[in-house]
Amino acid sequence: MKGCIFNIDGGYLEGLCRGFKCGILKQSDYLNLVQCETLEDLKLHLQGTDYGTFLANEPSPLAVSTIDDKLREKLVIEFQHLRNHSVEPLSTFLDFITYSYMIDNIILLITGTLHQRPISELIPKCHPLGSFEQMEAIHVAATPAELYNAVLVDTPLAPFFVDCISEQDLDEMNIEIIRNTLYKAYLEAFYEFCKQIGGTTADVMCEILAFEADRRAIIITINSFGTELSKDDRAKLYPRCGKLNPDGLAALARADDYEQVKAVAEYYAEYSALFEGAGSNVGDKTLEDKFFEHEVSLNVHAFLQQFHFGVFYSYLKLKEQECRNIVWISECVAQKHRAKIDNYIPIF
Amino acid sequence: MSGKDRLAIFPSRGAQMLMKARLAGAQKGHGLLKKKADALQVRFRMILSKIIETKTLMGEVMKEAAFSLAEAKFTTGDFNQVVLQNVTKAQIKIRSKKDNVAGVTLPIFESYQDGSDTYELAGLARGGQQLSKLKKNFQSAVKLLVELASLQTSFVTLDEVIKITNRRVNAIEHVIIPRLERTLAYIISELDELEREEFYRLKKIQDKKKIIKDKAEAAKAAMIAAGKDVGDIANLLDEGDEDLLF
Repeated sequence: MKGCIFNIDGGYLEGLCRGFKCGILKQSDYLNLVQCETLEDLKLHLQGTDYGTFLANEPSPLAVSTIDDKLREKLVIEFQHLRNHSVEPLSTFLDFITYSYMIDNIILLITGTLHQRPISELIPKCHPLGSFEQMEAIHVAATPAELYNAVLVDTPLAPFFVDCISEQDLDEMNIEIIRNTLYKAYLEAFYEFCKQIGGTTADVMCEILAFEADRRAIIITINSFGTELSKDDRAKLYPRCGKLNPDGLAALARADDYEQVKAVAEYYAEYSALFEGAGSNVGDKTLEDKFFEHEVSLNVHAFLQQFHFGVFYSYLKLKEQECRNIVWISECVAQKHRAKIDNYIPIF
Repeated sequence: MSGKDRLAIFPSRGAQMLMKARLAGAQKGHGLLKKKADALQVRFRMILSKIIETKTLMGEVMKEAAFSLAEAKFTTGDFNQVVLQNVTKAQIKIRSKKDNVAGVTLPIFESYQDGSDTYELAGLARGGQQLSKLKKNFQSAVKLLVELASLQTSFVTLDEVIKITNRRVNAIEHVIIPRLERTLAYIISELDELEREEFYRLKKIQDKKKIIKDKAEAAKAAMIAAGKDVGDIANLLDEGDEDLLF
């Protein structure tokens, strides 16, 4: 995407996105927040940031879940504004970003319908960024296979189902395995799409998506120790668009415990650095925290280059991390458990 | 004071024996009940101290569990819906057993795991470790809650029974036994009076007999002196002896 022609379609939106990015909370804001004693203090401090008076209309006493909902609402409004004003190929790019939320929503609706919950109860619980037109029609189906044939073929997620899951699988498989298989297909498709756009977007996005793929492979391996997930099933869940493909993934598929996973990661410089600092003792950061930090640093670096789509993806992910941080600090304040209040992931 | 009178019973030696037996029975019963009340009290105090200990522990465990929920949410994102929609039946169930303390049956609850963990694969791609820690924390919280429930039901039941037993002990001590003692005293006093009456009657008859005898002797002596009677001659037609009175 040449710099000169990018601004015709994408200039306004990139500018808007960078403006939103500047509103992301800085370290000084976080220092103010961790010193709050009550949620009311927290609300007061947030009023001074880009969030402004988003909690103004809430009745007191304030609950952490309210803060969570409102943060998400603000993010959704901003993202939808960006999406509404975009044209091809940016609009497809932004759609790809929403597919991950769509996957979560579909899994939620499948489980809900399987247990005969009314559809009107399930719809409000879906993530707003992942809504699609056929959501209302899901109640006509009784089994996942019917669901697929009737509804899901028309959604943009249909190709992900086709590649990896057959009709019988939908009925038998554990819902988590379906979720992870879909996500794998989604990640690989997104990777291909970015590569096909080329230029700076491909450079930035492919690195981020490769890290995401490797991170998922490592975490799935570690979390599957001691469960009924077999090694073959586990290997089917690894996305193949990362740096670990193919040797690393094959080695991970054979791993039996944490040490072997760490040994596999030794071959890759960035990942061995992440395993170094991680531990399960009380004072250490966990492996997941280290992964989060690395993801945040990759996303921040995306903003160093101009005229590419990666800024939109990074902005969304950074905002989500910020929401999680604020909710974490609010929980610590509300429960008066200040020991681990500094465990949020600093962004800037 | 009503109810503290003696029993209405005809005073006789048989009745006295009966009352004595009943009094002995009441005293034995009182002693046994007192022992039962003491045993229950001991158990009661033990349960009380255990409840206090468990409740303080509960506070900490719940705090820990709620915090691990926040941690899991931080790493995994929102998994509320995953759990809510996948719920089918309870994984932890409770069996109740009976425990006997000095004749009082107390229910004891015991929890057991039914079926395998349906959420084994939740958080597979993100936050699995925090989720398993969360599950462990809440499981220990549930176990503690079950224990607390057993203790509290025992506490309430024991309290009831101790009240009843104490009421009975006091009733026996302050109502039944005094009543029986009063009855016994009344019987004894009546028997004594009857005996005294009997004694008095006997004495009176004796005196009367003496006067008659003296009169008869005097008449006889007068007859002998006048030469008309010849003294005591045995008579075949005489029936029996005189009344023999001391």
